[in-house]
This record gives sequence, C-alpha cells and structure tokens, in this order.
Amino acid sequence: MAGSDLFTGTLDILILKAVSWGPRHGYAIGRWIRETTADDVIVQEGALYPALHRLERKGLLAEEWGLTDTGREAKYYTLTAVGRTHLRAESKRWTRFSAAISRAIAAASA
Amino acid sequence: MKRFLRRTDLRPDAQRDVSDELRFHLEMRTQEFIDAGMSPDDARRAAARAFGDVSSIDAELRAGRGARTRTRDRRDWFHALGQDLTFALRTLRKNLAFTVASLATLALGIGATTAVFTVVNGVLLRPLPYADPSRLEMVWLRSRTSLGSELPLSSGFYVDAIPNAASFTGLAAFRSWPYTVTSDGDAEQIPGSRVTPSFFPVIGVRPLLGRIIVDADAEPGAAHVAIIGHDLWQRRFGGSPAVLGRRIELGNESFTVIGVMPRGFAFPRGAELPRGLQFGQRTEIWTPLSFTPKDRKDFGTLSLAAIGRLKPGATAEQARRELSAGLQRFLKANAPKLDLDYQLLDLQQQAGDHVRRGLVLLMGAVTFVLFIACANVTNLLVARTSARRREFAVRAALGAGRARIARQLVTENLLLAVGGTALGVVLSGWATRAMLARVPGSLPRADDIGLDWRVAVAAGVVAAVVGGAFGLVSTLQVRWSNLAGTLHDSSARSTGGSAKTIGRRALVIAEVSLSLMLLIGASLLALSFVRLQRVQPGFVPDHTLSASIVLPIPGDFNPKRDGPGWARFFSQLTAQLAKSPNVESVGAVSTLPLTGTAEGGALEIVGRPRPEAGQAPRADYAVVEGAYFETLKIKRVAGRVFDSGDLATSPPVVVVNREFVKRYFGGASAVDHQVICHFDFSNGAARTIVGVVDDVQSASLDAPPRPQVYVPEQQMTYPGLSLVVRTQGDPTAVLPTLKREVKALDSRLALANVRTLDAVFTESLARQRFSVTVITCFAVSALALAIVGLYGVIALSVGQRRREIGVRMALGARPSDVLRLVLGEGLRITVAGTLLGLIGAFALSRLVASLLYGISATDGATYAASATAVVAVTLLATLLPARRATRVDPTSALRE
Repeated sequence: MAGSDLFTGTLDILILKAVSWGPRHGYAIGRWIRETTADDVIVQEGALYPALHRLERKGLLAEEWGLTDTGREAKYYTLTAVGRTHLRAESKRWTRFSAAISRAIAAASA
Repeated sequence: MKRFLRRTDLRPDAQRDVSDELRFHLEMRTQEFIDAGMSPDDARRAAARAFGDVSSIDAELRAGRGARTRTRDRRDWFHALGQDLTFALRTLRKNLAFTVASLATLALGIGATTAVFTVVNGVLLRPLPYADPSRLEMVWLRSRTSLGSELPLSSGFYVDAIPNAASFTGLAAFRSWPYTVTSDGDAEQIPGSRVTPSFFPVIGVRPLLGRIIVDADAEPGAAHVAIIGHDLWQRRFGGSPAVLGRRIELGNESFTVIGVMPRGFAFPRGAELPRGLQFGQRTEIWTPLSFTPKDRKDFGTLSLAAIGRLKPGATAEQARRELSAGLQRFLKANAPKLDLDYQLLDLQQQAGDHVRRGLVLLMGAVTFVLFIACANVTNLLVARTSARRREFAVRAALGAGRARIARQLVTENLLLAVGGTALGVVLSGWATRAMLARVPGSLPRADDIGLDWRVAVAAGVVAAVVGGAFGLVSTLQVRWSNLAGTLHDSSARSTGGSAKTIGRRALVIAEVSLSLMLLIGASLLALSFVRLQRVQPGFVPDHTLSASIVLPIPGDFNPKRDGPGWARFFSQLTAQLAKSPNVESVGAVSTLPLTGTAEGGALEIVGRPRPEAGQAPRADYAVVEGAYFETLKIKRVAGRVFDSGDLATSPPVVVVNREFVKRYFGGASAVDHQVICHFDFSNGAARTIVGVVDDVQSASLDAPPRPQVYVPEQQMTYPGLSLVVRTQGDPTAVLPTLKREVKALDSRLALANVRTLDAVFTESLARQRFSVTVITCFAVSALALAIVGLYGVIALSVGQRRREIGVRMALGARPSDVLRLVLGEGLRITVAGTLLGLIGAFALSRLVASLLYGISATDGATYAASATAVVAVTLLATLLPARRATRVDPTSALRE
C-alpha cells in the first residue's frame, strides 16, 4: 500500500495538517497521525521521512534544527506559505473526493 | 519549542543530518514503549519494527539529501557572488575618482599592449593563410662570397633542381610580371606574377571560381590564360561569376580568365619577399610561366623565386642537402669555381624575419608600459584597502570571515581588471588603426591585420593575470592586517605596516627605472631618426613628380625584338614633356632612389685579368633616359653625363658613381676605361665610362653607398621606367599634362606609383618614423604614469606622517626642514629607480643597436640627459605633497 498514489497523497495531506498548528519534529508528526487515524494510515513509520524530505524539497515544508523541551536536538518542520495554500486546496479536493467515494459505496450497498 | 539555535545552514553534512533525525525518532519511540511498560530491549525492538527497514530508508534519504545540499551550495555561491558584485559595483561607484583613475590607467596599458600585440600577431604569429604553411620553404641561392644570400634562381637552376627535390611534394617558380589592364574600364597597372603550373598545388590554395593553371596552359603556343585576384574581380568585374571565360586585355594581349582566387590571397606579396624581385604589394594576376629550351640552359639570369612544399616527415635541412648535392654535381661538371649553394627559408620566417626585431622591441616597450600601469593601480588599490581597514574591521566584527572579505576584494579587483581590459580592447581597436595608418607599406601582411582569437585570448590572459595579481595583493593585505585590532586603533595614528610601505616604494622604483629605460630607447631612436633625415640622399627631391610606366611585354621578354620600340617611346615621351609648360626637366630611370629595388649584376673591367669566379666586380645598374641626372640634380663629379647623342648606333657608354670609382679604381680616374656588363639583358659589348656622378642612396638612407652603373635606355633598352619631372611650382600640377602625353603616345598605358620625390623620401623613412613615434608615445605615457605613481606614494606617506610632521614642527622644525624630509624620501626613490634604469638600459642596449643609425646604443650623453630629465620631473611630482607637508598645523595634527 505504501507508495501508491492514493496513499502518498493522503500521507502528504496528513503531514501538512500535522504541522499546520506550528513547527513539529518527525516523531511528533508521526505520533499525531497515529493517534488521529488510530494507526490506520501508516503501516511503517519509516515511510514518513521520505515524505517529509520530499515535501521539504518541493518547498511545502521548511526544516530547522532546534531543541526540544527536554533539551534534545531535533529537526523541526514548519509549513511554508506555499505549503499552506497547497494544504487548503488538497483538503478541499480530498473532502470532495471522499464524499464522492462514500456516496458511490453507499449507493452500491443499498 | 521556539529556541531554534541551530540553522540548517550550519549542518551541511547530509549524513549526519539524516542519521540524527532517524535516531531521534527511534529513541523517542523506544521511550514511548518503555513508558507503556516494556523492558528497554523489547521497547527498542518494537520501535525498530514499527519503523520498518531503517537502513534502506536511511540510504534513500541520504541520497536525496546529498543532491539537495549540492544544489543549495551552488545556489548560495551564486547568491554570494551576486551580492559581491552588487557591493563591488556600489563601492566602485562611491569612489568614482579612484575607479576612473584605475580604469583609465589600465585601459591605457592594456589598450597599448593589445594594439601592439595585434600587429605582432598579424605579422609574426598568425599562420599564413595557406594549407599547412609550416611546410612551405622558399628556395634561394646563396654564395659565401660577394653575391650574398637570398639570391633568386635562374630558369636553368630551377629546371635542374626539380629532379633533386625528392623531399618536396612539389617545387614551383614564379616571377614578378606587372600587367596593365586595358579592358573593362580605365587602364590600370596591376602587380602580376608568372607562375609555373605547380604553383597553386604547392601553395595549397584552391581558386574560388574556375580552375588553376595546368601544364597544358604552359605549353609553347598555348592560349593565353590568367587567374585574377578577389579584389580585382570585385573592382573591375563587379564580382560576377560570368568573368570566367571572359577575355581581358593585358597590355597588348588578350587573356582568357580561367579562375578567381579567394579573398585575401595575394601571394607573392612584395613585403614578404626580397625587394630586388620587385613584387607588387599584392599580386592580383597570375599567368603561366613556361621555359623555352633556351631558358632551360640559362644560368645567368637570376630572376626566379622558388617555393617548395616539404613532404610529411621531411625536414628542411634534409631537403636542402638533397638539392645541394645535385647542384654541386652540376657545378663540378660545368663551373667548378662558382661558389653557390641552396638556402631554404621557412615562408613564415621569410615574411616576418626582417621586421621581427623592431616588433619585438615594440612588444617589450609596451610590456613596460603595461607593467607600470599595473604597478600604479596596485599602489592605488593598496592605499585604498588601507583606507578601508575600518570598514573591513567592522564587517569582520559583524561575522564576515576573512575569506569572505578577501573574496569581496578579489571580486572588486577582478571587476576593475575586466572593466579595464574591456576599455583597453576598445581603445586598442582605435590604436591599431592609428598605428597601421602610420605603418610602412613594407610591413608584411599589414593589409589584413585584425583582432582574432589569439588577440582575444591574450587580452583575456592579461585581464586574468592583472585581476588575479590585484586580488592576491588585497588578500595578502587582509591576511596580514589584524582586522580586530584595527577597531581599537585610530586609523589616523596607524602609520601603515613598514613591509607594505617598502612594497609600494619598490613598485614605484621599478616604474621609474622602466620609464627611464623607455625614455633612453626613445631618445636613441629619435636622435638616430634626426641623423637619418640629415643624410644627403645624393639627389634633390623637391619639386619633382615621379610616376612609373611599364610597357606591355608581348609573350616572352625579348629586348632584341621589342627594345627599339621601348627606347623610342621613352625618348618621345620625355622630349614631349620637356616642352610642356612649368616643366623644367624630364628624365626616367629603371629604379628610383630610396626604393630599395635596385638590381645588380657582375661586370668586367677591360684590360684587367679575369677575376676568380664569385670575385668579379659587381654593381647595381640603372637604365636612364632623358635628363635624369639634371632633373634629380645628381652632381657630376667627372666627365660628362648622357646626352641626346648617346643612341643605339653610337658607341656604348656608361656613367658610374663615386663609390664605383673608389672601390674598383682606388679613387683614380675611371673615365675612358671600358667595362663589360653581365647584367640581365646586356649584350656583352664593352662600354666606355664617360662620366662619374655623386653617390645616390639607392636602397635606403642608412645603407652604405653601393657601386652603381648607369646605362642609357637607348643602348640597353628596358620596358619599365619611372618618369621624373622637375617643375616650377607644385609638382602635382603637371600630372594632367603627364597623363595626356602618355595617352597621346599609347592610349592603353597607365601610370602607377604617382608621387612626388619628397614623398618617396618620406616613405623611405616610414618604418623609422613609426618606431620613433610609437616608442616615444610609450615613453611619455610611462613617464607620466611613473610620476603619478610617485606622487601617490609620497602624498600618502605625507598623509600618514602628519602626526610625526606635526611633532617635528612643534619641536621647532622649520618648513624648509620638513620640505627637505619629504623631498628626500622622493629623491631616494627616484635615484634608486634611475640607477636601476641606467643599468637596465645598458643591459638591453644590444637589442636596439641594430635599429640605430649614427648613434651608439650606449651613448653617454643620451643616457645622462634622459636620467636628468627623469630625476627632474619626478622631483617635481614630490614637490606638491612636500609643500602640503610644510603647511601641516602642529596643533591640529597632534590633536587627531
């Protein structure tokens, strides 16, 4: 499942969403996704990092090394302006898309 | 969460970036499992399991990261470069005076260097525009005795040499053959060459249109064919391809045009070959040269130039040995006493060698100017960098590393160097044109000198070296200076490192010495030029017009058949002209004085024992008609000159010059002795010496006089003479009359080389005038730059020593003491530079010696005068800052 377009798109949106409230490091992003999706999306946590780096390369995320509250070094990701626009557009598209799928499935099972 | 202390910029290491990030994740996840109640070991395993394949993800991320880091580095580098450039431009604009001074100095130095290099490249370096020119060798005869070297071949020698030319792919002969084109427009004399069919294949140039001359064209009785040059084709035939097959009238004969040579091909060119061969500046007509059975046995008429193309792998020496072996066999059998050998000369050498020394001298001189210009700008830069120490210190304190500041300086200086070079190249375009306009027509290949890639590369290299040197100087300066210390230091009090001051002084000393060397060179050349102009040429050139006329030579050169016609024509023409208004007297001569085109030959003095072969007396000969001696006011020393009584039917006579009498009669009277001339076309008759005239400089003003024999046209007919017409008033005013009279006798004739004898005189000095003008320009520029440099150093030193001077004055020093102090500093530099310059000039004197006339290259008076002049003007340059030093106000200087 990991690597399919649908999954990639989903994971990207989740990551962007995870940092939309402020800078987070990779572990925190992964944990938020696990908790909010109840472990349904991420099968392997390692898949998160290629996605993070890809988004950073595309300019949707910015990265910066910083210290955590406990004084440990960690790399923080921040949503860039481009990333925020992208997130907004993708969320809208995703909502429409999932609504359409839900309707289709509902109709089929009826 | 907000305490971001480290920025990604500080972590360029892709490996650590990735592994740190992943390790952090795994540790946090392990902690999470521990918090959920697992043992640390289990927790670690669980975290790894949840993560997936750590090592493959690590590798994947690392690869992506590495590429990204590289792009980012590149982007940062370009960004910084952009910043540097913007900042450099702003700084340069802010210091406009400095920028303008540096750019102007550099442009002057680089412009002059590029211009001279353009000429040197065009004449000496650029390969000749023929296929594989390095394998083209001119073949000459040489004699160890009086005949000299670079002698032309006779047709007999040429035909004989062909079987021995195994190392050549081919051998070709050619000779000058001027034509008068009479069809398609006004009659015009055009330099032409008769060439053997092997000529074009040997040179390796194909015609633009049509075909080359083939063997069948050179057969006896073959139809007349001609190949024309590109310029002639454009000029007279409008560049139409229909010219092929057209018939053109050359002299009295009709030729079919069979080919057009490509643009720029004008070989043989007069300036590239010995002057005696009389080739025009650019050959524009080529016709076949063939040999009759009689020609094949002719060993006496040395009139052919020969050229060969070496086979791949063959050396010139090997080819010469083969030719020579054949010649020696031939001589042994036929003329055992004749001392002759072959001489091979690389065509490029042939073309450039006689001007190499002069051009090398110019190149050396201009390099001096360039060095002085660079030294000046370097000094300006160093001074300015010192002045900016505070700026750099502030920037260093704000976090700019030394490397960054050095890079900024290098950028600024490179910008200056590139700007100066660009301006210089623009300037050189103009300077090259100006130089070529003054250059003598005898400079080989001068007609198509231009900028090419070699010049561009040279200018580029100069810019890079200059920029690099400036950059290095500033970098070293930044490295040596204690940037942080500067902030504590009041810049007014710092005296500047002593090492730096010594460096600046050394540069100025070098400048002074180089400009003195140039000044001495220029003075020597100028003095020798003045002396040359004072040389009595042996004739009076004023109020005299000259023009050359070449009568058509139908087919072969046959004075026996055509001679009487030639003689009649010239005697009629001179007689008619002599009767014209404003004309005082008229004559004609085969070789004008000072044109270096004299032809020579051997002769016998009747009644003396036959000399050894090669030891026979030789003399230049000139065929004269009309009142030649009277027109040129050549002094009669003894006997008589020719008169209207010396006709073909009367006893053969000659007139000789004083040098002839001195050399062959030991100064005793030569009149009434008889000589037998073995000239080109003399018939072997004994001729009586009837008179002696003064020596005339035939080759050039600086050449020693040569024995000369004058023969009347009526008795030794010659088809090409230069008319000389002495007039009342402006000599050019008789030109219409001259043209009318020529037309009246033969409408198909054209005048060529129409000029006054004054112009001939001036042109003969063109090369010397050129060297003097250019070197003097260089010397003056160099001296001006050196003065500016010295002024700069002293002014800066006075500025830096304000406090010291203030203290001295406060302690009672008088203004005159201060003046002496500053002048003394200038004088030390000047004297050191002058001494070095004198030594340098003396060391290099050998190089100019061959270019001088009537003055020694180590002429004491010239050295002394130049040195005095340099000391005087450089001291004037220090006077200004010295006067300023005396006005230092002690109280304000001390308070600073």
